Amino acid sequence: MKIDSGDTAWVLASAALVMLMTPALGFFYGGLVRRKNVLSTIMHSFFILCLISVQWVLWGYSLAFGPDKFHIIGGLEWVGLNHVGLTPNADYAPTIPHQAYMVFQMMFAVITPALISGAFAERQRFKAFVLFSLLWATFVYDPIAHWVWGAGGWLHNLGALDFAGGTVVHISSGVSALVAALVLGRRIGFGQGKFEPHDATMTVLGACLLWFGWFGFNAGSAVAAGGLATSAFVVTNTATAMAALTWMTVSWWHKRQPSVLGAAAGAVAGLVAITPASGFVNVMGAIVIGFGAGVACYAAIQLRERIRVDDALDVWAVHGIGGTWGALATGLFATVAINAGAANGLFYGNPKQALIQMVAIGASWGWSIIGTFAILKFVNLFVPLRVQEDEEAVGLDLSQHGEPAYASVSAL
Amino acid sequence: MDPTTIMAVVCSVIVFAGWLVLPHSPSAVKPAVLVSEERQPVRVSA
Repeated sequence: MKIDSGDTAWVLASAALVMLMTPALGFFYGGLVRRKNVLSTIMHSFFILCLISVQWVLWGYSLAFGPDKFHIIGGLEWVGLNHVGLTPNADYAPTIPHQAYMVFQMMFAVITPALISGAFAERQRFKAFVLFSLLWATFVYDPIAHWVWGAGGWLHNLGALDFAGGTVVHISSGVSALVAALVLGRRIGFGQGKFEPHDATMTVLGACLLWFGWFGFNAGSAVAAGGLATSAFVVTNTATAMAALTWMTVSWWHKRQPSVLGAAAGAVAGLVAITPASGFVNVMGAIVIGFGAGVACYAAIQLRERIRVDDALDVWAVHGIGGTWGALATGLFATVAINAGAANGLFYGNPKQALIQMVAIGASWGWSIIGTFAILKFVNLFVPLRVQEDEEAVGLDLSQHGEPAYASVSAL
Repeated sequence: MDPTTIMAVVCSVIVFAGWLVLPHSPSAVKPAVLVSEERQPVRVSA
């Protein structure tokens, strides 16, 4: 196998783009919380970038992509990147060094648990967060990644389509976020008034950086610099824009004002929804997917508010529902005209693909619920998941990290 | 046109046409009740 310099350059650049998404997520989330919790919220993303970078090279990559064991998990042969060198791996990316593929996938593994942190923002104990994140990456993310993307994974063998992580990244994190929000319970003061975002500009900037990084996430998933990467880039931008327009319009109709934060959240919903489909659908499909994401994710937030679940930053509504819609839509709008190596969806004459996608969706939901609940209960045996009431009242920046985000607050 | 294109056109029309009927100035907006335990700034003189 010969290494292609163009493909290698694109995948490494894409890895860097995806890396940027995690701190961008920190800012997206950081702007949405109260000012006494902004540092702790940003720290969740920054810390996970460090934690999973190490976990991935030690054992995460081996569990997710290593030699298949019973179609459910990778073996330990690649622990410590043993056998993961600079020679291409034909199963995953035949034209780039194996380590380039590994580091690209590392950035996916990094951002996924970081997404969950939005659900328990403003109330989770940092030590519990550390333990939870490490266990979740190992026992929830790595197996699902193997099922869908690993050579020999059972969903991979079944023919499930997930170009860049609708099931692996977004359903897993979004559904786990819902479980985490239910287990941790509501924040003090929830339902007594509105928790106003402390810096909406920070959130919009975070959304813009997420959008930018997502080109690496989706177009990079072609693991080659060519036509498929270009198509993924175009449909990613199209669906994102359409979802932002749709969310803004729906919120304008519902709340009588065009929300800026709504447009930003809508863009993220569109990015999420197009992720699994980005290598399989054309631009018309992308418009429908973006539209559906704007409507479905906005409706999910209304439902979440009605049933009074304190998923603080709406991770379930945006990532869980957006990812579910995207994974299903892949089974509707996929066409071999875009990706000859994949399959047609329902609207191109292959209804079976929609059923396969439903199986993948159900499996991701099921394992995420079971795994996350078990891990939270296990961690709670050793470390209380929540901070104490007085710590929550003073804010996690001071109570967990001993640092205020803004000097003006500490000077008071 | 294939079904996907028809759906895309319908979705676009719904969004774009929707702007024609949406309110162009906000109705009376109630100030949000903030939940905050943060202290308020105080003036300190020497």
